[in-house]
Amino acid sequence: MKDRKVVCRCEDLTEEEIIHAIELGYDDLESLKRFTGATTGPCQGKGCLMHLLRILSQKTGKSVDEIGVTTQRQPVNPVPLYILAAAEKGDGE
Amino acid sequence: MTIKVAVIGGGVAGLSAAYFLAKNGAEVSVFEQKYLLYGASGRNSGGLTAQFRNEALIKLALRSLELYNTLQSEIGFNFLLRRDGYVKIANDEVANVLKDEVEIQKRAGVNVKIVDPDFVKSLFPDINENAFSIASYFADGGVVFPWPVVWGLAKGCKELGVKVYDYTPVSVEVKGNEVVGVRVDDELHRADYVINAAGAWSNEISRQAGVELNNKIFKEEICVTESLKPYLDPYILDVSTNVYISQSMRGEIVGGILGNETNNINVKSSLDFLTKYAKRVVELVPKLRGMSILRQWAGVYDLGRDGLPVIGPTKVKGFIQLNGFGRNGMSTAPAAGEALAEYILKGKSKILEYFKP
Ligand SMILES: Cc1cc2nc3c(=O)[nH]c(=O)nc-3n(C[C@H](O)[C@H](O)[C@H](O)COP(=O)(O)OP(=O)(O)OC[C@H]3O[C@@H](n4cnc5c(N)ncnc54)[C@H](O)[C@@H]3O)c2cc1C
Ligand code: FES
Repeated sequence: MKDRKVVCRCEDLTEEEIIHAIELGYDDLESLKRFTGATTGPCQGKGCLMHLLRILSQKTGKSVDEIGVTTQRQPVNPVPLYILAAAEKGDGE
Repeated sequence: MTIKVAVIGGGVAGLSAAYFLAKNGAEVSVFEQKYLLYGASGRNSGGLTAQFRNEALIKLALRSLELYNTLQSEIGFNFLLRRDGYVKIANDEVANVLKDEVEIQKRAGVNVKIVDPDFVKSLFPDINENAFSIASYFADGGVVFPWPVVWGLAKGCKELGVKVYDYTPVSVEVKGNEVVGVRVDDELHRADYVINAAGAWSNEISRQAGVELNNKIFKEEICVTESLKPYLDPYILDVSTNVYISQSMRGEIVGGILGNETNNINVKSSLDFLTKYAKRVVELVPKLRGMSILRQWAGVYDLGRDGLPVIGPTKVKGFIQLNGFGRNGMSTAPAAGEALAEYILKGKSKILEYFKP
C-alpha cells in the first residue's frame, strides 16, 4: 500500500486527493477549499491551510502571495445556540 | 453562421443559459469576475420550491425541478438533491396570506396543501408544534447543495465547448444601438449577444449598456451548525419571522433569515443576525439549543420590479437581461436559462413574455 500522506486531518484528505482536485480544474484556493472540504473541518483550516497553499503553489507555479489567503469566516470558536439566544442584543448592525 | 454569446456572471442563471445555448449550437463564453460560487449561487441555502404567488414564476419553478433531475444524469454530476418537501409555517397573523397563495398555487398545478402543526411534527418530530399555527406543504420541493449545482453546470458547459473564464471581470461594450461584445482589460471579446446574468451587479452592467434596470439589492445572512446525523428532511421556512432551516447532506443545520433591502453591496456577517436567528431556532426546535454555530456568511442578490426576474431583450440590440431572481434563483433560474436559450436561438419563448425587461 502506498503511503497515505494526510494533509487535512479533520476531513481526512490526502495530498493525492488535493492534487486530483487541482487537476480537475479546482485550481484556485477558494474552489479547492470548497470542492475538497479542506479547511472546513472543526479546526477551520488551522491544521491544513499552509499545506494547501504549498501544494497549490507547486502545482500551479504561482507564489503563495499570488494565491492569496482567504477570509476566515466567523465565528472562530463555535458558539452554542442557547448562548446566542440569551444575548441581549447583537452588534447593532 | 454560429451565434456568438458572451455571458456576464458565472452563477446559476448565467451557467444555465450558457449550457442550453451551447447544447443547441451557440458558441458561448462565460465571464466570472471572481471564482465560481462567489455570487449568491455559492452562498445560498439551496431550498427548492414553487410556493409563489405568480403563475409564470411557478411554471419556471416546476420546470426547474424537472431540470435538476435530468441535468444531474445528463451532466454526470451529483447535485445532492433531496426531494423531501418544502414547508412554510406561519402564525395566525399571516395564516390568510398562506391560505390565499396556496389557492393560487393549486390552480397553477402545484402539489401543495394547507396542513396543521401536527402534520409538520409527523415530518419532523423535533419541531415545537406550539411555535406556529398553520403550514403549507409542497411535497415535491426540497433542497440541493448549491456548490455541486454550479460546478456541475460549469462542467456540463465545458464539455459542450463553452469557455468559462474565472477571475475575469468584464464590462459590456455598445456601439450605436447595438452590442459589440464584452471588454476584458484592453481586449474586446466580440459577441452577437451579451447576457447580463450578473446578479446583484446587474444594475451596474446594465448602466454600462445605457439601459435602465433598477433591480433592488438584498443582503441575506446565513449560518451552519456542526454536523448531526440526518434527521431534518424538509426545508422549513417560517414566514412569520422569515427564519428558515434545513439540513445539508453533510449533516449541518443550514439556516438564516430572509434578506433585507440594502443600497450597497457588502457581504459582512453580523452578531445581530446570529442572536436573532438563534432565538427563533431554539423556540422552533428546542433540542437544537446545544448545537454550535460553526460558520456564518452573507450573500447579495437582486430582485426585479414587481418581485419578478427580468429576462429578455432590451432597447440595445443583442443586450439581454437575465437577472432579478431575488430569493428564488436556485428554484427558478435553470428553467429561465433554458427558455432564454430558446428565445435567442429560435426567436420566441412563451414563458418569457411574463418577464420582459
Ligand atoms: C443567504 C442566501 C440564501 C438563499 N437561499 C435560497 C434558497 O433557499 N432558494 C432559492 O431558490 N434561492 C435562494 N437564494 C437566492 C439565490 O442564491 C439567487 O437567486 C441566485 O443564486 C441568483 O443567481 P444569479 O446567477 O442570478 O446570481 P449570482 O449567483 O450572484 O451570479 C452573478 C455572478 O456575476 C458575477 N459578476 C458580477 N459582475 C461581474 C462582471 N463585471 N464581470 C464578470 N462577472 C461578474 C458575480 O461575481 C457573480 O458570481 C439565496 C440567496 C442568499 C444570499
Ligand atoms: S485540518 Fe483541515 S480543517 Fe482541520
